Amino acid sequence: MTDSSPEIRDLSHAKDMIVCDGVNKWYGDFQALKDVTATVKEREVVVVLGPSGSGKSTWIRCINRLEVHQKGVIIVDGVELSSDVRNIEKIRSEVGMVFQQFNLFPHLTVMDNITLAPKWVRKMPRVEAEDKAMALLERVGIPEQADKFPGQMSGGQQQRVAIARALAMEPRIMLFDEPTSALDPEMIKEVLDVMIGLAESGMTMMVVTHEMGFAKEVADRIIFMEDGELVEVGTPEHFFTNPTEDRTKLFLSQIL
Amino acid sequence: MLGFIFSPDRRWEAPATNLRLLMTKAYPTEQYARIWFSLGTLLVLAGLSLAAWRAAPRTTYRKLAGKFTGYGAAVIVVGLLAPFSAGATLAYLAVGAVPLVGGLMTLRLLDNHDERDMSTLLVSVLVVAAGLVVLWTVPLGQHTFVKGTAYARPGTVALTTKLPLSVMLGVMVAAFYVGSFVRERFKSLKAALALLWLLSPFILTMIVLRDPAFDSAHLISTDIPIGLAFGIGGGLLLWLLTSAKAGEAGRAVSVLLLVAALASFLTPMRMVVRIDALMLAALALGAATFAGSLESRLRYIGGWIGVLAIVNWIITATNTPSTVFGMPTGTFFGGGLTLTLMLTSFTVIFAFPIGILMALARTSKMPIFRVMSTAYIEAIRGIPLITVFMFFAIMLPLLLPDGMSVAQVPSIVIGYTLFSAAYLAENVRGGLQSVNRGQHEAAEALGMSTAQKTLLITLPQALRVSIPPLVGQAIGTFKESSLVLIVGLFDLLFIARNVIPNTSDFLGTSRENLLVASVIYWIGSYSMSKASQRVERKVGLGER
Ligand SMILES: Nc1ncnc2c1ncn2[C@@H]1O[C@H](COP(=O)(O)OP(=O)(O)OP(=O)(O)O)[C@@H](O)[C@H]1O
Ligand SMILES: [Mg+2]
Repeated sequence: MTDSSPEIRDLSHAKDMIVCDGVNKWYGDFQALKDVTATVKEREVVVVLGPSGSGKSTWIRCINRLEVHQKGVIIVDGVELSSDVRNIEKIRSEVGMVFQQFNLFPHLTVMDNITLAPKWVRKMPRVEAEDKAMALLERVGIPEQADKFPGQMSGGQQQRVAIARALAMEPRIMLFDEPTSALDPEMIKEVLDVMIGLAESGMTMMVVTHEMGFAKEVADRIIFMEDGELVEVGTPEHFFTNPTEDRTKLFLSQIL
Repeated sequence: MLGFIFSPDRRWEAPATNLRLLMTKAYPTEQYARIWFSLGTLLVLAGLSLAAWRAAPRTTYRKLAGKFTGYGAAVIVVGLLAPFSAGATLAYLAVGAVPLVGGLMTLRLLDNHDERDMSTLLVSVLVVAAGLVVLWTVPLGQHTFVKGTAYARPGTVALTTKLPLSVMLGVMVAAFYVGSFVRERFKSLKAALALLWLLSPFILTMIVLRDPAFDSAHLISTDIPIGLAFGIGGGLLLWLLTSAKAGEAGRAVSVLLLVAALASFLTPMRMVVRIDALMLAALALGAATFAGSLESRLRYIGGWIGVLAIVNWIITATNTPSTVFGMPTGTFFGGGLTLTLMLTSFTVIFAFPIGILMALARTSKMPIFRVMSTAYIEAIRGIPLITVFMFFAIMLPLLLPDGMSVAQVPSIVIGYTLFSAAYLAENVRGGLQSVNRGQHEAAEALGMSTAQKTLLITLPQALRVSIPPLVGQAIGTFKESSLVLIVGLFDLLFIARNVIPNTSDFLGTSRENLLVASVIYWIGSYSMSKASQRVERKVGLGER
């Protein structure tokens, strides 16, 4: 894991994968995002921290347009998000998303969960899609579960299937919204290990999590959010050893 | 109740003699083979399906023995309670004693944890076979109608009853074994069976009601050219529309086609052409979803040609006068249980897709769809079924443009379909709402279009949840079809209540006949509800 530690990776010349510029979002009168401006580089792993209700989910959901922002610009892999349907579908198939509640399709087997989108969205032939799904299941460590239904698996296994399902679309970016928060402690590691492997393979990742160990070890940068604003951005070293903002210090003192 | 059933005043020969009337009304005796053929077809399908879906449940010897003991005891209780002559009581006691003693003995022999089991299907077949043996051997008396007069003769049941029934049982058992044999070798057996089930009401109705004397000159000069034109022209159009380049122009062409098809109903034109054009327009609108690989385009076009062939065949067959009965087109002379079953199956089959579409419209994001479907559903739910029947039987023919006519039964089916579809839509909507938001989001995050999300993710889950209310509704449709007596159709209930008790031989036997009709309704409803429970278990409802 040391070879992925932040010091060795120089991403300053990498291309911009996600650009957010002055993004604002309101739910009715309530402002959930306030002038969020940030850039994520190719191959970068960004961890988003913040107290409950600070807008972390809202932000990463705006990036694949599960939520619509009202003001500002979001550019994903060179394509600006707009209400054009073609645009949205293109971006969504480039951006994989993993949810806190897994959201596997309960009426389909693990194999069908993974191959469904490649077959229908990417129009991949069935045999090819299934070969690929098996390879992905090997990668997340559960090839023997292919014919089970989600309801017959543990939470950790389900979340790994969800990761494989997102990867089957060959995304260039992966978004994780608290992928381990719904898991029993003994299953958290198996999911984090898969995510670490993914980071090592060079995937661009944005991860909302409360796993400080993961943030310390894997993140290239940490973004701290509160009340819809980006409060502090920095390397894990900076963030955990000498944060500048008082709000960050308060948050860290509560959580560590 | 027992006193009523077994009272010597009861004339059970009334429903027995008039079984045919109850089943099919005045169906001509010399054509009865068609009814048996249709029933046989359904049983073959049933046998094949039981094998294909491995639906035959199993039961342990212990449970079976328990059941037999219970039935034996019930027969003995009936024998003791009912006001019989001593001889009859003894006969009942003897008949009841066999399963009772057999059951008890088996229970004694097996210990409490015996888990050996056998197929309940086999048990049912054996019981029915035993019943048939009784029909062949025991002199129950023969009830027949000869030229309008009822005769009761001693001897076993008439050959015209027991022979076909025995053949039917044999056919079904044979079909089951054939099904078990081919299910491993023939991969698309289930799909083929599903299609056959769906088509069977149409084809069987045709077989029961008419013998289309194909006017080959007309067939060659009109029907086949129209079919070919739509097949080839429509195929080409769909080929173009499913190409990746069709885009906006393609959509415009489809919408134009839809408008033209709808407008054709206002101009004088052959009905086939109108219907074909409407179907083509619908497929053209959906074409963009199937754009892509050569294979999927060809499959789409193949689907169009298949649907076209079936629909055109049905239209041709319906429009061709039947030669056998010498009746004008559209006259309906069937009735009884056959009519009840036809109304039910057609209504359920047609209402299903319409109801699903309306449920989707009602939950859609687009306001016009939502408003239209809500208005329709609420309007229909405010109208009693009787009113709908009356409207469609009496008013619809008057409102149609000149030159168009609909026979009574089809117009009743249309009305009943539109009525049930509204209720069905509400049941499906319940299911759609039970699919949680995470499922929508997961599908969207994978880049699925709204159509893909609906067809692959939300609808399958919604339908699974809706199985119990949907089956409940089908049972309701079956029973409530008896309201058609209000517009003068002779369904099962009407024949039992009004027709048989008014014939000179069986005056005043309405109570006997009504009881038999109730039992028939109960068997129908109960088997549907049993089947639903099995399907629910099979799709794992409640497991998650
Ligand atoms: N659909 C919605 N309608 C109205 N308000 C919403 C909606 N979704 C979120 N909010 C509000 O927006 C704010 C940010 O929510 P968000 O879910 O992004 O927080 P979060 O940082 O992900 O919190 P958590 O750690 O609890 O998941 C919260 O105050 C929440 O109440
Ligand atoms: Mg959240």
